[in-house]
Amino acid sequence: MTGHEPATVTRLSRPDIDITVPADGAYLSVLRTAAAGLAARLDFTLDDIEDLRVAVDEACSILLAQASDGRLRCTFTVSDASLTVAARVPSHDPRPPTQDGFAWTVLTALATKVEVKVVSPSTGGHDLVICLTHARSTDPAS
Amino acid sequence: MDLSLSTRSQDDFEVIEVSGEIDVYTAPRLREALVELVSKGHHNLIVDVERVEFLDSTGLGVLVGGLKRVRSHDGSLDIVCTHDRLLKIFRITGLTKVFGIFDSVDAAVASH
Repeated sequence: MTGHEPATVTRLSRPDIDITVPADGAYLSVLRTAAAGLAARLDFTLDDIEDLRVAVDEACSILLAQASDGRLRCTFTVSDASLTVAARVPSHDPRPPTQDGFAWTVLTALATKVEVKVVSPSTGGHDLVICLTHARSTDPAS
Repeated sequence: MDLSLSTRSQDDFEVIEVSGEIDVYTAPRLREALVELVSKGHHNLIVDVERVEFLDSTGLGVLVGGLKRVRSHDGSLDIVCTHDRLLKIFRITGLTKVFGIFDSVDAAVASH
């Protein structure tokens, strides 16, 4: 069982990938594809890749409903055991997501960990952030 | 990447064949198709998602909305789906207990 080297996994604390798209549903497929592509490159299992694809979509869909500006930003950070995606939009009136909705139910079921926070960027205003982590099911190096 | 919809009749049912991706961007088109069918008097619907590559909670919401519409006319809305990646979303949200989910259109028709 030799010859296959997992894709290079960087171990940086800063985001490994940073994508900003218009805050428009038309661009969710771009972010889904990026999440799935990165997970595939990191040798996540097919189930994990699909989970991430859906979880990122749900997080961003929730954020779009509260976006007050035209940009949706996703940062992807890789560690040995997980992939973390932080999605954020500027929001005039940031509110916690409705926790009895389908979107939150799906997001929290598919992600290993979900955090919602409001941050105040140096440029002013507020950003609503959903940070989701998906742990790797199996270690391809094992 | 986009959403494609086609409709055909089979026995007393209208079958909506969906292909592509159902998300917050495309789901309104599916909603419009379901609303139009119901408004034309078609109250027994089968939504075939066998060619759907992606489904999120927005799509589920549209399907639930369609189910409520047809049930208000004593109708039905069944799903044809065999892909586990989609069935997982139905299971997570408890909707496997709400929709009739079948392996084929024929099986959905035969269940009535």
